[in-house]
Amino acid sequence: MEMPTRRYGLSRILIGIILFGVIALILYTSLPSLIWPWLGGRLSVFATVFLGIFIEALPFLLMGTLSSGLVEVFLSDEWLARSAPRRALPAALVGASLGLIFPICECGTVPLARRLFRKGLPLPAGIAFLLAAPVLNPIVILSTATAFGWGRMLLWRIGLSLLMAVSVGLAFSIEKDSVNIMRMPLFKTEPVVSHVHSANETFIQKIQRALLISADEFFEMGRYLVLGASLAALLQAFISQTSLLTVGSGPILSVLVMLALAVLLSICSTVDAFIALGFMGTFSFGSVLSFLVFGPMVDIKSVLMFLQVFRRKTVFYLVLLPLLMSLLAGLIFNYFYA
Amino acid sequence: MKMMSLRLYRLLQAFILLALVVFIGFKLISGTLSLYINMQYMPLTVFGIVVLAIMTLVVLRYLGLEDHEHHDSGHQHDISPSALMILMVPLLIGILIPVHPLDATAASTRGMNVSAPLVGSSQTREFQSAADTRNILDWIVIFNSTNDLSPYVGQTARVTGFVYHDPRLPANQFIVSRFVITCCTADASAIGMIVTWNQSADLKESSWVEVKGPVQDSTLGGQPIPLIEANYVQSTSQPDQPYLYP
Repeated sequence: MEMPTRRYGLSRILIGIILFGVIALILYTSLPSLIWPWLGGRLSVFATVFLGIFIEALPFLLMGTLSSGLVEVFLSDEWLARSAPRRALPAALVGASLGLIFPICECGTVPLARRLFRKGLPLPAGIAFLLAAPVLNPIVILSTATAFGWGRMLLWRIGLSLLMAVSVGLAFSIEKDSVNIMRMPLFKTEPVVSHVHSANETFIQKIQRALLISADEFFEMGRYLVLGASLAALLQAFISQTSLLTVGSGPILSVLVMLALAVLLSICSTVDAFIALGFMGTFSFGSVLSFLVFGPMVDIKSVLMFLQVFRRKTVFYLVLLPLLMSLLAGLIFNYFYA
Repeated sequence: MKMMSLRLYRLLQAFILLALVVFIGFKLISGTLSLYINMQYMPLTVFGIVVLAIMTLVVLRYLGLEDHEHHDSGHQHDISPSALMILMVPLLIGILIPVHPLDATAASTRGMNVSAPLVGSSQTREFQSAADTRNILDWIVIFNSTNDLSPYVGQTARVTGFVYHDPRLPANQFIVSRFVITCCTADASAIGMIVTWNQSADLKESSWVEVKGPVQDSTLGGQPIPLIEANYVQSTSQPDQPYLYP
């Protein structure tokens, strides 16, 4: 049943490669020769930025898929079902604080959240975890504090992220079953090896199985890291940031520009504070704060990963709700707290 | 009939994992890793390489095991050739596009970050350091965090950077520039000092130079920026560490 689509997928890729080659050849022969040095310069900027993001994010993605593999093998569904709070608010609060135990950035939260859902984590908890963990974790708190000091930027970043994650988590609590928000029926995305293990596995075998699951998930999620990093690097290589910055004045526009930058730059939440610091001279406190709150929840990489795991409608709300709340927060700060 | 057997999938998976280990490992050993990330994060990269290497072994170990079980369980496998291809993209980009640190091309898209409050953690940097040991970042920090510049004006700076011809500058000036990398090249921002030098126009964009001369207080686009009245501009080779770290 799956086979025709799969074959179609492979041939589509082949056609894509051939088309790409033909277009490249046509471009190469028809464009004026002057454009090549220009393009070459940009291309090397693209490669350097792309590999920078990829190499920097790789360990964090691996941490996420490793956690996910270990959770799959060592965390029993029964234990999770027994100990996870059933009521929506406590569940969302617990979910939002899970990042303190799993210190991962947004590259890692999606695989881990999906795994926890599959293990029966309540919906509000999983959604709150997904949105809050990239900020509410020791590494990010430390990097934000390093950039901005132990001051109001750090406090508001943590506070707002927590508030927004819990609210969105609660909003999702009207949906009773996590299956309803996932893109594929759960059994289909079961890891390849799930049927290899026997009941009496040794510890070493368990570890190996966890690692194999991590490897599969690394390939599954890694492609979105590659796509997201390509988009961000293309943007950085070809679109002038100075032109964006000149737009970024005024209490409303500045927030919008910073929100757009948060999505487009797709910088890992563990280090975005340092980038945000670079904007502090040009942008208001409120707009930088909205960048720091929204970026970890939604950016190119994470949306691509969301789309792989959740239904479109779910992804729509996962993007829209944090967007509106970050916008509101930024505007409130710009108008009343400046 | 399957498009791709589980065995082939696992083999390709192991191949790509191993290729990533070799690729990043080579960058680490050859020192070119510092063209992409702040070397402060190098331990994380080492962790990544080790995890990828272990994954390679585990995937290879499962090669034989799975084929057995596989027949009697009519289970649908989640094999996606596209994931394999996409994970090869970083390898292809790394191999096909020559290694090149960020240069004046990148500086022109990103713009000079003259206001540069980007160096929060280094506010306590030693300002008493001898003038000719300061790099461009030190000077920028001084010019952005000090109200009274008089002790610094007139000191002789000796800095190394690449040539960037900012369109806002007259023909006898250029900017000697460096990229500051906090985490990786995604957050790179160009900083620089204006250099007054009569043969500015002869200097090739992106070429590396060593500049020496007394420092003056100047502005660019309304922001304070140090200016060097160069009495010496010598072309030099690209330093081992082309970026500066706050």
